[in-house]
Amino acid sequence: MRKFLKTYLPFTRAGIHGATAYRANFIAWFIGDIMYCFVMYYVWRAVFASSGSSTFNGFSMTDMVVFLFVTNLTGYLTESDGSFAVGEEVRDGNIAMRLIKPVSFDMTFLFNELGQKSLTFTLIFVPMLAGVEIYKYFTYGRVMFSIGTFALYMLSVAMSYMFSFYMNVCFGFMAFFLKNLWGFNILKSSILRFLSGSVIPLAFMPDTLRSVMEWLPFSSLSYTPVMIYMGKYSGQEAALRLMLQFVWVIGFYIISKIILSAALKHVTVQGG
Amino acid sequence: MCLWGDFCLKIFEIFKEVRRGFRLFRIFAAQHLKKLMEYKVDFITGACSFLIDQVVNIAFLAIIFGGVESLKGWSYYEIMFIYGFSLLPKGLDHLFCDNLWNVGYGIVRRGEFDKYLTRPISPLLSVTVEMFQVDSLGELVVGIALIITSVTHIDLPFVWYDIPLAIVAVLFGMLIYTSIKIILASISFWTKQSGHIINMIYGMNDFSKYPVEIYSRPVRYGITYIIPFAFTAFYPASYLLRHTDPVFSILGTVIAGCVLFAIGLAVWHKGLSVYESAGS
Repeated sequence: MRKFLKTYLPFTRAGIHGATAYRANFIAWFIGDIMYCFVMYYVWRAVFASSGSSTFNGFSMTDMVVFLFVTNLTGYLTESDGSFAVGEEVRDGNIAMRLIKPVSFDMTFLFNELGQKSLTFTLIFVPMLAGVEIYKYFTYGRVMFSIGTFALYMLSVAMSYMFSFYMNVCFGFMAFFLKNLWGFNILKSSILRFLSGSVIPLAFMPDTLRSVMEWLPFSSLSYTPVMIYMGKYSGQEAALRLMLQFVWVIGFYIISKIILSAALKHVTVQGG
Repeated sequence: MCLWGDFCLKIFEIFKEVRRGFRLFRIFAAQHLKKLMEYKVDFITGACSFLIDQVVNIAFLAIIFGGVESLKGWSYYEIMFIYGFSLLPKGLDHLFCDNLWNVGYGIVRRGEFDKYLTRPISPLLSVTVEMFQVDSLGELVVGIALIITSVTHIDLPFVWYDIPLAIVAVLFGMLIYTSIKIILASISFWTKQSGHIINMIYGMNDFSKYPVEIYSRPVRYGITYIIPFAFTAFYPASYLLRHTDPVFSILGTVIAGCVLFAIGLAVWHKGLSVYESAGS
């Protein structure tokens, strides 16, 4: 274990350094993205004003605002762009340099990205989540934050990230066969935005569609942790959802290993 | 008299330059299409993903309107019309002027801007016509489809001159987008890189897709008078839907486009004068 950490922690450090160098860009980028949440905030305010009812499909106005912002923040923690990195390296042939080194292919990506995530967590996640909690305090008039719920949320987020990581590794290895990934990467993120319930909460969908999507692994990318954060799941349901997340993580870990060994037989480095 | 002559000459020169720009654009677009054919799959998947996003957005709108009849007095199909209209100026700007993003993202930082300075045409024109972003055809197609779908469900107070007015509004709406990008891309002449600033401000265009009545007063003022994204979609679309305030809605779009473009050109030229290439 110590040797393992000694090998891979430098990658984390490199990730932190890399992300630190571009932190201003990153924050500006984030502000551009979060605009969408503010637009939707106003849309929901108008919806609740027009409907005259205090809930919409079981969501109150406050729920909706928390859902919007926490979904966005969760996305920042769980997204993984390893697939793009693998794709790029296949294209430019740098993959060869990675394959000849005595370190594990996926672990280097994982630890590097964890470094970036730790910076995202401190620079964006913590301040924004504090904002969400302050908003909740002012609407409910009391502190609603519970350490237990938050711990479960973080556990769920961690598994979402692992799932996202291994799914993207599987996807990234498709670059071995497809040669260019750019279009597929965009297509994938569009489909995921829908399937993960980050645009339309799954609770708003027709019952049959919703139950199918809840069992699919993609809902765990954003919907499951956010629902846990909002306390929408009972203890038993939350446990079931977390178990399901765990199963999918293991499943995709195994698939990624199989694809890797198959892909390495196929690799052709283009050009010198 | 002499001043008038100068003015005419200047206009003539601008006209010549624009015509030359279009010719160059055709040549560059042909090159770009060839490159695209090499990555056909990327293009098709990119277009599909855009389509999926839009379908999901519209489905979401439909879900919202399952619970309410109107949003601050605007019906489902009226909002769909505004949404569709917003895609047209955005799509056109995306089609013709996408390379301005790259100015902010690295063309200046890597010193690649040098090559535009050596060409016998204006660097702004040259950098803009270089890329032809075919992905944006998806935006235009979806926008037109949404407009057509929505007008079949709305009693549009239509008169013949609405068509030229709509075209004018779309073109000047595009000019608003392009000018904002020119201003923000120019910042990179001082700071080397401004892509993230472009993204930050550009992200506000989402505000244009819904009626301004839903926003609080400061936001409404902001998207009308400071960064006038509301003129790219909501105001002209609301004129076409209800014939309210034509002077403000259409002329406002034209004025906003012209003012921003003038600022854009001024900032761009000021920026060019301080541009230094990357040393290596």
